[in-house]
Amino acid sequence: MAMATATGGPGLSGRAGARRMANRLALALSLPLFFGLWELVSRSGVVNAILFPPPSKVVAALLAWAESGDLAIDFAMSVSRVLVGFFAGAIAGIAIGVATGRYEFVSNLLTPVFQLLRPIPPIAFVPIVILWFGLSELGKYFLVFYGVFFTVWIAAHLGVQRVDEKLVRAARTLGTPEHRMMQEVLLPGALPYIFVGLRTSVGISFYTLVAAELAGTFAGLAYRIDISMQNLQMAQMMGGLVMLGLISAVADKAFSSFARRAVWWS
Amino acid sequence: MSGKERLSRGTAASLGTASRRGAIEIDRVSIIFGRGAKEFIAVDRVSASIAAGEFVCLLGPSGCGKSTVMNAVAGFEHPSEGRITLDGATVTGPGADRGMVFQQPTLFPWKTIRANVAHGPRMLGKSKAEAMEIADGLLEMVGLAAFADNHPHTLSGGMQQRTAIARALANTPSVLLMDEPFGALDAQTRSMMQESLLQIWADVKPTVIFVTHDIDEAIFLADRILVMSASPGRFISEIPVDLPRPRDAEMTLEPAFMEIKRRCAGLIRTETLKAFEQQSAALRARK
Repeated sequence: MAMATATGGPGLSGRAGARRMANRLALALSLPLFFGLWELVSRSGVVNAILFPPPSKVVAALLAWAESGDLAIDFAMSVSRVLVGFFAGAIAGIAIGVATGRYEFVSNLLTPVFQLLRPIPPIAFVPIVILWFGLSELGKYFLVFYGVFFTVWIAAHLGVQRVDEKLVRAARTLGTPEHRMMQEVLLPGALPYIFVGLRTSVGISFYTLVAAELAGTFAGLAYRIDISMQNLQMAQMMGGLVMLGLISAVADKAFSSFARRAVWWS
Repeated sequence: MSGKERLSRGTAASLGTASRRGAIEIDRVSIIFGRGAKEFIAVDRVSASIAAGEFVCLLGPSGCGKSTVMNAVAGFEHPSEGRITLDGATVTGPGADRGMVFQQPTLFPWKTIRANVAHGPRMLGKSKAEAMEIADGLLEMVGLAAFADNHPHTLSGGMQQRTAIARALANTPSVLLMDEPFGALDAQTRSMMQESLLQIWADVKPTVIFVTHDIDEAIFLADRILVMSASPGRFISEIPVDLPRPRDAEMTLEPAFMEIKRRCAGLIRTETLKAFEQQSAALRARK
């Protein structure tokens, strides 16, 4: 046995080591290869370089955008719309979701209405929102709120219902009064589900943001993409996409690490 | 012996003092689930008097309704007929005077061990400091003082169940209801938990109703064993366990223990066979 490991060991670990190294190399090369190929293809003349600018031009456009001061304004406007809509939708969704999840009366009153409204894509509300709210910020908040609310509501509703009945029973034998059951057992018990709903909503709030800004506004990341299209500023458009991708990826990562801390027991 | 007959008081009744709380009367209780064709008699006219401070085991085959009886004493099930009283007052719902330990520890995973044990006193209006003091005392008693700041998932199954026992005792309930609490533990841990449960019981002396299908466990723990029939659940026999206390694992090898075991085993075997036949018949009927 000892002999076998002594002779077979180095060879085996050498091969495994080589494979590990290759795997790591693949990871390190992924992004440089992608951008390198993109640069090559758009400079080669195979494609129309005006419609398909190389990454170097996209970076230059991003820098110009930042220098003009518009990037900061667009960024701030978009992020504020997402934040306001997300938090309003999340708070309302959790509050109403735990109520419909726990109390049959509330559920019977509201669930049919919500199930009717929930499947309507928030983007479909854009025309109505323009008539209701004009091009105001309220309309943008409303669209993001709409997308977030139903997702969080159903997560909280199901979360409360899926809290282990044994935990509720244990709490009752310990003298937990009904009016404290929500705060002591149901809400913390539903939190893992609620956080899944909230995380999905982070993505949804960026989708709805794009629809809201395309519908008409005066600043914002998606608005900038729309304007650049009208001016045929392809590099600027792609820069807008990169910014949207970046902030929604950062938002998702930040949220998931926050969620891991907040519901570490699940 | 028929289930309709009132079972006599156990041996501990003569030892108990009149002022002690925790006397339970189960008076011709039936529990029926469903209605019409789907009606199912889970518990059929069971009666028992359990003295304050007595340790009673409900022993029976699985599915016989022993947990249903316990849930009725806890106040989670309501008797379709008959009534249950605790110190003369009819049981209408769960309350802090009856602590309960379930088969799974059912600890609050988001709370520390100390906060889990302190939960009951907090709910009864004790200050945070007072509740923590009670919790620390109980954790000391169950040997978990060093783990007070841990969270449940970091503890073994046995330690979690000790925490659950400490938590159930934190409101100093007069009755401790235990529903196969050691069923999910390995044999060594289970036997250790049985010994420490007896120590805790000797210290605090609540009335204990302990549900199990393990004959050795019932004999080792109980003052008195109530044997239940296969469904519909009835009390078919009452077996006093007059083995001396304190008890230890050695005792399970003594002739007196064996003698009681022989009596129980015969009864249980018949009922288990009956339960098995019923369950197979029900499965066949469903096909």
